[in-house]
Amino acid sequence: MSTDIYSFLLFKSLYQPIEAFKQLEQVRPSRFGILLRYSLWLIILPPAFSLIGAANFGWRLGAAEPLVLPTRSLLLVSAGYFLVLVFGLLSTSFISRWMAPTYGAKTGLGRHVALVTVVSQPLAVASIAHLYPHVFVNILVLIPTMMWSMYLLYRGIPIVLKTSPENGILMASSLLAWLLVAAVSLLGLSMMLWTLGMGPLLGV
Amino acid sequence: MNEVMNNSYHDKVVIRLIQFSIIWALLAMTAGVYISAELIWPDMDFGQFWLSYGRLRPLHTNGIIFGFGVSALMATGFYSVQRTSHVPLFLPKLAWFCCYAWQLIVLLGGLSLLAGWTTSKEYAELEWPFDIAIAVTWVCFGVVFFGTIANRKIKPIYISNWFYGALIIVIAMLHIVNSLAIPVTFGKSYSIYAGAQDAVVQWWYGHNAVGFLLTGGFLGMMYYFLPKHSGRPIWSYRLSVVAFWTFTYSYIWAGPHHLHYSAVPDWVLSLAMVMSVILLAPSWATMINGVMTVSSASEKLKTDPALKFIVLSLAFYGLATFEGPMMSFPSVNVVSHFTDWTVGHVHSGALGWNAMITYGTFYFMVPRLVGTELYSVRLANIHFWMALAGTMLYIMSMWGAGVSQGLLWLSVDEIGELSFSFTDIMSSMTPYYGLRLMAGMIFLGGTALMAYNLYMTVLGKQAVTVQVPKVDPAFGVNS
Repeated sequence: MSTDIYSFLLFKSLYQPIEAFKQLEQVRPSRFGILLRYSLWLIILPPAFSLIGAANFGWRLGAAEPLVLPTRSLLLVSAGYFLVLVFGLLSTSFISRWMAPTYGAKTGLGRHVALVTVVSQPLAVASIAHLYPHVFVNILVLIPTMMWSMYLLYRGIPIVLKTSPENGILMASSLLAWLLVAAVSLLGLSMMLWTLGMGPLLGV
Repeated sequence: MNEVMNNSYHDKVVIRLIQFSIIWALLAMTAGVYISAELIWPDMDFGQFWLSYGRLRPLHTNGIIFGFGVSALMATGFYSVQRTSHVPLFLPKLAWFCCYAWQLIVLLGGLSLLAGWTTSKEYAELEWPFDIAIAVTWVCFGVVFFGTIANRKIKPIYISNWFYGALIIVIAMLHIVNSLAIPVTFGKSYSIYAGAQDAVVQWWYGHNAVGFLLTGGFLGMMYYFLPKHSGRPIWSYRLSVVAFWTFTYSYIWAGPHHLHYSAVPDWVLSLAMVMSVILLAPSWATMINGVMTVSSASEKLKTDPALKFIVLSLAFYGLATFEGPMMSFPSVNVVSHFTDWTVGHVHSGALGWNAMITYGTFYFMVPRLVGTELYSVRLANIHFWMALAGTMLYIMSMWGAGVSQGLLWLSVDEIGELSFSFTDIMSSMTPYYGLRLMAGMIFLGGTALMAYNLYMTVLGKQAVTVQVPKVDPAFGVNS
């Protein structure tokens, strides 16, 4: 099956997730095909939106005046954001494949890249909220989206990776632990970079 | 008759403690929801001192930790120590004394907090008469627990008992040392420590109360009930023993990481940070041990709604024990300290780990204690999703609020002056607090569902008498 079909299936998971999951289970996705022709383009969206948003409106963290950064800093921050997302996509795919034998799931790497892409897709699309970088607006949009992504994770694993629903719950919870840790690491890493002088001017 | 009584487990006291634990959970969580509403609408105290944030907040924390948490730990401790030792409780009347004395302390202590009595030490706010009562009751708890172990018919002391034992010994030590004070009146005393020394002792207490009560005690619960739930032995018993000793050794040093950028010497803070990072190893060893134990028993999830709570609690345990060491780095702490991020971190532990594992354990124990099925599996499943949604919403809103606060407080303009005033920043937090209020109500709603479900389960039923089984000679004390 050509890579275009996978791309179509991945896109279809946005509006008909269960159907798309079932069809994904039938095919053997190629890891590079999915990565280069779909996933990387998808995760370029959040840094691009945040770059445009921050350059035009500045970051609104809640208080009166927005924080406006020089374009050079913004480019650097967005590039960092993109690299972190690439790292997140790849590491989560590898961890998912590493966990798969424990839960009797399929192990082809392409399949795991596809799964992670499908799960993160709603978040990447909803990152359009970054165009108006008000922290609260973003939280309001991204929290429900994240719950939808979590639903896709719990529903998707048993179908795409062909394992029992019970094993699916266990594997999804284990992956959730990794994702939570990754999210909080991102937060901590940003704080460290900020206090070291990248980003807004802080009195530290 | 006496022969039967002498050879059966004492479970009535366990049921009573579970009932108290659930009542305190409902009351203390309601107080939490109320004060989170007060942060949005400060007038909600209606001019009453006892309804003010300053008095209700310690009521919330003490009610959860000592009312809900300790009652649950006493219940599960009494339940599991009998079964792992193959003997009934040592001095069962003393166990009943512990049960009621503890509830009286929580009740009267809570009222004293509302009346404005406080030592002003966080998580140790109760005044000296209560401190003495706590010490006495706690020692009695230790006598019952260790007496049962001393009488045991099984030679090895199972790993859960090591954790419960550490809980009893370390909390006694922390509580007595940190509460040393000179009484002035019946309701007022002054700590014998002063200045930076007071701060170090207080956070040695505060952090290890988190360590040995909210982590160690609940790990005891995990090590007994997870294998029971899943019908599998612990994945690696050796790993659990190694994790216990590294956990006990390294936790006790980590307290001063609460005092970064203060008058405490730098080397103390660096040591605390290093020990906090080392702590990640035993914490995650335990998480992996739990996850791998349950991984081989997935078919149990079909029949047991409670196992899901325990699986998820391990995920949040992993998050909280990673987040904590990370927040002890000075470069993260400078932003996160004093912000709502800390509040979010505490709740990822308290809601995600402590409450979830306790709920899972209660759903497991209560039907067995009265010899029946759970009243409604469907309600338990709804509770699971409410608990997950409430916890996630809570953490996310506090991450957003905390990071915003940290950055805005530290923002300076070109000439080095603060960019924003404190009051402006705090008044802009209302939307996050709204989300948090919603999260709290969802979580409390789930807890109320559980209370109803378990109430209907035990309604009109009597505790089952469980005989002590025969000991396998290979593991007997004389083998």
